[in-house]
Amino acid sequence: MEKSTPQPIFSVSDFIAVVNQTFEYAYPTVEVEGEVSSFKINQEKFVFFDIKDKSGSIGCFMTVWQLRVPIEDGMKVIVTASPKLTQWGKFSLTVKAVRPSGEGSLKKSFEILKAKLESEGLFALDRKRQLPRFPERVAVISSTQAAGYADFIKILNDRWGGINVEVAQVQVQGAGAPDQIIKAIEYFNQLEPIPEVMVIIRGGGSADDLSAFNDEPLVRAIAGSRVPTLVGVGHETDESLADLAADVRAATPSNAAQILVPDRNEIIRSVNSQVGLLLPRINSLIDQQKQSVDSILQSVIEKIEIAFDDKKTVVLNLKNILAQLDPNRVLARGYALLRGKMNVGSMIEIETYKVILEAEVKNVSNK
Amino acid sequence: MSATNKSIQEKTNELAKMVSWFDSDEFELEAALDKFKQAEKLAFEIEKDLTSLKNEIKIVKKKFSSGE
Repeated sequence: MEKSTPQPIFSVSDFIAVVNQTFEYAYPTVEVEGEVSSFKINQEKFVFFDIKDKSGSIGCFMTVWQLRVPIEDGMKVIVTASPKLTQWGKFSLTVKAVRPSGEGSLKKSFEILKAKLESEGLFALDRKRQLPRFPERVAVISSTQAAGYADFIKILNDRWGGINVEVAQVQVQGAGAPDQIIKAIEYFNQLEPIPEVMVIIRGGGSADDLSAFNDEPLVRAIAGSRVPTLVGVGHETDESLADLAADVRAATPSNAAQILVPDRNEIIRSVNSQVGLLLPRINSLIDQQKQSVDSILQSVIEKIEIAFDDKKTVVLNLKNILAQLDPNRVLARGYALLRGKMNVGSMIEIETYKVILEAEVKNVSNK
Repeated sequence: MSATNKSIQEKTNELAKMVSWFDSDEFELEAALDKFKQAEKLAFEIEKDLTSLKNEIKIVKKKFSSGE
């Protein structure tokens, strides 16, 4: 009869260690999807909850610092975790990250965090800073492989030039994305001098793809940035908490480029239009001056004419008066002019209108 | 590049100032033609600068993935 190999006899602690080694080898990291129940935070440090489905339930443990999005009972989540057998023989998942799963849970988590950050004033309008009109140093945080980045650069180059653009290549989706973006934000914030604007962009995607931009530490990093921020994530209809915390929100990466710089063609058109209007304006001003001079000249001429007419009238009146004093006019009316001494016997000259007579005075008597 | 770009801003500001002179109390018809010629020259320079400027895009060497 064949001898059977004796089974090893473990101590309890050794057996737990062996089981944990087996888990570590077989499932170093697993992702498990389920519904949250019995969620609680102990001593403001440790997070405990179960995830369950129709027929199973597993206990989960994590620290509060690893919990980057709000979760609550009933929410569907995906946990990234390592399986572990505790020293008390209880199987649990040591959770490294948890994220909401499915539209309903994503929306719920979004609304809870939005309300929390809003109450802290992170989205307040009076915190928003203006971006420079002609930026010279711009930081960009994006994935250089993404279509959204290519759109942004194309539109930026079409619209404006002369900018030094520094690009931090990061993941823009997945579990590692928020930390990479936060590190890039920190990198640009410690530069001296800091860039004038920091642009964070990512093209469209599913709600799960864009959920990196609803990560609480990332939203806080954007709100706390020394460098003014411009965030363009997803499509026009997408709203992320990163958008709300930014100084300026763009609807898309392309829109971010449009907001960031003016269109050189528009500036050229505007400049040429401003100058083009000057020459007609000068001509119009010359016409106005000419009309003003003409008007003054006309007024002077009119005054001279009036003065001339006045003088003419005076001369005419004098002429009439003079005509009235002409002796011939008196003679013409039948009177005569006598010359000589009015003594009896004297010779006098009598001038009528037509003839001159010589006569002797025969008698002189008073009237 | 930056210096040239800054001068575009200065040039557009200068042009705006010149244009506003035509509507100001300081306006003199005798000086208008000279001012117009200066504005025309400035507009030409701005157009030339804007057309020729290119952006300089540099990828940061630092890696931002975990542990780096």
